[in-house]
Amino acid sequence: MSNATTTRLESLLPGEVSARSVLVHAVMYGAALLFLMPYMYMISTSLKTPEGAIAAGMNWIPDPVSLHAYAGLLADSLIIGWAFNTLLIASTTTLLVLIVDSMIAFALTRLDWPGQRYVLGLIIASFMVPGFVNIIPLYILISDLGLLSNYLAVILPFAAGPLGVFLLAQFFREIPYEIQEAAQLDGFSNWRIYTRMILPLSRSILSALALFMFVWSWNQFLWPLIVLQDQAMYTLPIGIVVLRDNFTYQPSVTMASAVIASGPLFILFLLLQEQLMSAVEMQGVT
Amino acid sequence: MSAIDRFKGGEGVLSNVSRSRKELVEGILFSLPYLVLFGVFLLYPLLMGGYMSLFEWNAFFPSRSEFIGIGNYTHLLGDPQFWNALGNTLYFSLLTVPSIVIVGLGLALGVNRDIRGRGVLRAIFFSPYILTVSVAAVVWTNLYSTQYGVINYYLGLVMSNPPQWLQSYVFAMPSIAITTVWWLVGFSFVILLAARQSVPEYLYEAAKLDGAGTWRMFRDVTVPQMRHAIFFVVVINLIWAFQVYGQPYVMTSGGPGQSTTTLVMYLYEAAFNQQNFGYAATIGYVLTAILVVVSILNYYLIGGDNE
Repeated sequence: MSNATTTRLESLLPGEVSARSVLVHAVMYGAALLFLMPYMYMISTSLKTPEGAIAAGMNWIPDPVSLHAYAGLLADSLIIGWAFNTLLIASTTTLLVLIVDSMIAFALTRLDWPGQRYVLGLIIASFMVPGFVNIIPLYILISDLGLLSNYLAVILPFAAGPLGVFLLAQFFREIPYEIQEAAQLDGFSNWRIYTRMILPLSRSILSALALFMFVWSWNQFLWPLIVLQDQAMYTLPIGIVVLRDNFTYQPSVTMASAVIASGPLFILFLLLQEQLMSAVEMQGVT
Repeated sequence: MSAIDRFKGGEGVLSNVSRSRKELVEGILFSLPYLVLFGVFLLYPLLMGGYMSLFEWNAFFPSRSEFIGIGNYTHLLGDPQFWNALGNTLYFSLLTVPSIVIVGLGLALGVNRDIRGRGVLRAIFFSPYILTVSVAAVVWTNLYSTQYGVINYYLGLVMSNPPQWLQSYVFAMPSIAITTVWWLVGFSFVILLAARQSVPEYLYEAAKLDGAGTWRMFRDVTVPQMRHAIFFVVVINLIWAFQVYGQPYVMTSGGPGQSTTTLVMYLYEAAFNQQNFGYAATIGYVLTAILVVVSILNYYLIGGDNE
């Protein structure tokens, strides 16, 4: 019987609640409230009338509740288009990353060829390269390729990042080689080993990586701002800044756009928290 | 060919030579799609940036660019705006990195205790991390607003003259830092929580038998055991902090004055407002050099190898 269980049982008994436990609960829930405050402000303001949103005083519960800001956004702004662009970019990027990263990770860990160590070394070394070093030459390259204001300009550079390769290579390496050898004896081609064995066995890491890439790609800010030069092509993260500048004195509209920009990710997060957090944990472990 | 070789080789009928050639071809084929992306969109721009930094780059007629050697670098050394941006970036890092690590560690240790609703708390502390920088920045700009902001509304109840957060030389950067801590701490929190949960419980029981109090256990068990995670979190937050852009861009546009203009903002301005691409590439290279030095220093200070 572990010590931890006994303490837990004790702390559930009414008379035995220690002062320290009360303090810990108070601090943690206080912190949680502070963390939630910006969301509460965002949601509550988005549901206010234009006048209510700038009225003096702070009423957390809108009175009256108004969908005016949402209706206005849907009718008079490009926000639906932006949402569609963002979704398209994030899902294409994620799919591309999963395919090309898993292929090269397979080649680097499950095949045996000279030079693979150098390739892996080069990819890992590129972790040191911060994304911003490349923006100027990348911008020139993209413009030379005629890809300015093309979604590929956002998708391709993002998919070139090394994180996925690294995480997948770490994972693939742990899969027992006996399985692969048995399959080879049965005459499986490497392509078949990759698609029928390695990928299905890696479902957990692939879904964690997919989720992480999707969220990251959805949230990109600076690079899309540089290369998407036509308002209709904007993504939500840039779009809400445009809206903020256009509706400076209408916080209800700004907050409604923030809710729309983050809503889909929140739903995804609520459904798949474990995978998302495990993708983050893996980065810490590797 | 012996049976063992056949087993190892897998293919059986093929000789070892042709087998390894086949693996080489397949290895390259499997790697190619990523390597093309990597080469074109990561490696090439990286090298190109170094090349560009040696030129007075002509944005409209690249062939008329003028080679000036280290001219951009020497110009940078004497450029007060660069030093201002570097100083602001350092200040921002100093404000955010220790705060994120301390807050992240505090939250992780708190959630790790016997506390009710642990899963919910974990989700709450992590959740801002999934927001895009512009949502975080726009929401906080409103919270800081002097006209309808929540913060000054409550401060106004207890003090007569609450600060003008984002318009103030003194408070603008700390305000951005607070937003950043809220936005990014979730990442570090999750990593530190995972690290804390993998500290073997018997170490604490042994320490307890030795009569160690909470503080001793924290200092002699928790921190040393979590050393790697803590250093990872420090390094990654430093790297992020040096690249800060979105928060000041949205919240203050680098102002008031130039007091929140960061390195990346200055780079952006040099490139896209002044069309000085060679100089901007130079700033990018210097930023990278700083980050590489920081990472190496950290590696030796903390050591991947002193296990």
